[in-house]
Amino acid sequence: MTARGSPSRFLQSVLHNGIGRYVYQLKRLTLTFSKDAQPSRGVREYIEEKVVDFAKQNPSVVVYINPKPCRVPKLVAEYMNGSVREEDINSKTAEDLAQLIQKMANQSGLDIIRIRKPYHTDNPSIQGQWHPFTNKPTALALQSFGAVGQQTDSP
Amino acid sequence: MSLLLLGLRSAAGPGLRCPPVRGKKRWLWPHLKAQARKAKMEGPPKPVPRLRQPNFDYHAEIVAFSKRLNETFSIQLLKTAFVNHSYLEREESRRQELGLDSETAALNLEDNQKLADKGSEFTVSYLTSTLQQGFPNLPAAGMRALLDYLTSQQVLCHVAQNLSIEDLTLSLEFPMSLDTVQKTFLAIIGALLESSGPERTGRFLQDFLIPQMIGKDLFDFWSVTDPMSLLVEQLSQRKIPLPEPRITRQSGVGTVLPLYFVGLYCDKKLIAEGPGETVFAAEEEAARVALRKMFGFAENRRPWDYSPYRQDSSDRKAIHAS
Repeated sequence: MTARGSPSRFLQSVLHNGIGRYVYQLKRLTLTFSKDAQPSRGVREYIEEKVVDFAKQNPSVVVYINPKPCRVPKLVAEYMNGSVREEDINSKTAEDLAQLIQKMANQSGLDIIRIRKPYHTDNPSIQGQWHPFTNKPTALALQSFGAVGQQTDSP
Repeated sequence: MSLLLLGLRSAAGPGLRCPPVRGKKRWLWPHLKAQARKAKMEGPPKPVPRLRQPNFDYHAEIVAFSKRLNETFSIQLLKTAFVNHSYLEREESRRQELGLDSETAALNLEDNQKLADKGSEFTVSYLTSTLQQGFPNLPAAGMRALLDYLTSQQVLCHVAQNLSIEDLTLSLEFPMSLDTVQKTFLAIIGALLESSGPERTGRFLQDFLIPQMIGKDLFDFWSVTDPMSLLVEQLSQRKIPLPEPRITRQSGVGTVLPLYFVGLYCDKKLIAEGPGETVFAAEEEAARVALRKMFGFAENRRPWDYSPYRQDSSDRKAIHAS
């Protein structure tokens, strides 16, 4: 698809996050996995070894562990702005999973679509909006009025 | 070959009965159709609050909420802040329906009305004093407009929804009305005020409400219909001679897209210049530019100081005076 046709947005943050204080945007993480199925092996390993550390490092994230017979284990991340992101995590190793979870914890929950520019400003121009007199010599603004002009010319 | 088969079948036809096919579920299609019809009549299912969905630990969520905002709430107060009156009524009536007498049915819960009142009061008083410090030259009407904008339902609900307050709110209605969201947010401010004191609460308001002014112009929240008369009033208060509008530049006067620049001169000094399609529009714009400069709300103003120890206001006053 062409760049114009694909959905896009400007660079932004939720509630101007970080201007006042920084608020972690991930609020909830649910790991659904099977206790015995093969594709959940990496998830079980992650839960045994790393999930407690993650929860301790991120007290603002509530982690739910949901054992349930299933073929495809799922990771559901819920963000502060209400968006929910669901990922299939079958056949992932514990390291892959740790990386994925860390990535999700660092995201803001805004749509992952093309960002038009890698910067954004509310005041796009420092010099101001263009008008016909921009970059014109200032002499053009002068006007001489008969007698007044003669007076200024004489000295 | 096919002819032969056909002949065989027709021969077998009336005499031999085929046994019924075991896998053919003739009941399935009517069943699915009936289900679809029922679903269509009922409409889409009602949204369920996250609170009532599986995997939700209310206490853990509350603790995480306070950690997330980096504030130390008293957990009991924070829980009270989320309880709305409608929820209380419903719960008590439900318990009575179950046959409990009124003493055992009592919930020992309070609703968030008191906290919301406190929060609302503090928000207004804090924002008034802070905005007065930040914009000392803004007159009372402008200050009121600014305050009304920051404490409006739209802004408060926008902040509250992006702090995911709806998730934890105990209320009868879902989706929640903006009134409920606003009240809950104010109650949270009240709870913070009671548990951490006015300084931390002030910082909370500064961090979450003041940024809502970013990218907004003064006249976005303060609708001034006649800026020129306001400018004249302000100038006469400051004992500055009245402004004299002059066309400074013009272009394309006889065309469909004319452009005029009007400058306002006080005491032969240019105080502001503004563009416009007509002379009057340009004059009005110039007056707005002059007002923005005068009230310290120009586009190139110094950004708000969000640093936590912003107590020394004398420096800021010096900056604004210059």
